[in-house]
Amino acid sequence: MPGKKRTVRIGNWYKSDDEKVHFVRKRKVPRPSKLRKIVPGQVLILLAGRFQGKRVVFLKQLKSGLLLVTGPFKLNGVPLKRVNSAYVIPTSTKVDVNGVNAGQVDDEYFKRTQAQRRKNEQGFWAKRGELTAEQQAAEKTRLEGKRKTQKSIDDALIAAVKKTPLMKQYLGARFSIGKTTRPHDLVF
Amino acid sequence: MVLTKFVEVGRVVKINYGPQEGRLATIVEILNDKRVLIDGPTTGVQRQVIPIRRLTLTKFNLKGATRGARTGVITKAIKKSDPFAQYAQTLAAKKVAKKALRAKLNDFDRFRVMILRKRRSALLSTQLKTLKKSTGGKAQTQAKGGNKKK
Repeated sequence: MPGKKRTVRIGNWYKSDDEKVHFVRKRKVPRPSKLRKIVPGQVLILLAGRFQGKRVVFLKQLKSGLLLVTGPFKLNGVPLKRVNSAYVIPTSTKVDVNGVNAGQVDDEYFKRTQAQRRKNEQGFWAKRGELTAEQQAAEKTRLEGKRKTQKSIDDALIAAVKKTPLMKQYLGARFSIGKTTRPHDLVF
Repeated sequence: MVLTKFVEVGRVVKINYGPQEGRLATIVEILNDKRVLIDGPTTGVQRQVIPIRRLTLTKFNLKGATRGARTGVITKAIKKSDPFAQYAQTLAAKKVAKKALRAKLNDFDRFRVMILRKRRSALLSTQLKTLKKSTGGKAQTQAKGGNKKK
């Protein structure tokens, strides 16, 4: 008999013959995407989402493969954010990020807490969405912590940005295509 | 209309078509009514036969180029008097250079150019206003602009 263990669950699916398993994923976790020549400090143009067209500063690649970027928030309203590198145009402009420490930000930073997930519950589950006093306090401290991280990273960045004339305005402006622009001819 | 640009030995030409498009060279020998031998040792054009149809004549001549001169002789003549440098001063050459520069601008450069053009236009309009005021409405539109622009 071919060495495949057959477990028969009563009342459920009965496997007929030995089924070929065509694809077995050997890795449990998907491999993070290879970064195409994007360097920390590089200005990227976001192509999709709420901030499409905004120019942001790239900080580092997270373990999940997504890119960590920040506006900086004061300049263009983009907070610390994860972005898929496929939805980004890297420009050749770079900002000095030597003084910026984004070490404490990782994928866990962006994970939704239970309180967040249950915030908009309605109807039968509405009670779950109501936060207790201690949960509200926890939320408050969490948000405070986030604001602090944002500020610490951004302050260092803005200091570097101010050194180049017009860079501040550049990051505040959105990228757009007009009638006569030829995107395939543009050098970024 | 008097013709001034001739196909002659020493005429500086611009190649319009082919892999060497945009480069300058000198006519070294005329083969027949349709082909010439050109050479451009300092502009990266190999000595070659090329149809006249692919060339534009410029108004410059290379002094000291003799018929059938070898590349070395041409190079020496260019060292003495460089017509290619003179050509680079012409308006046409400058336009080509400007276009090439603009094509190389990156995103930040394009943004800076936009801002500078706006500033220049603002300067021009304030100048125009003051001129209009001073000449009582009959202004000459010759306000001098300020900023250097790519």
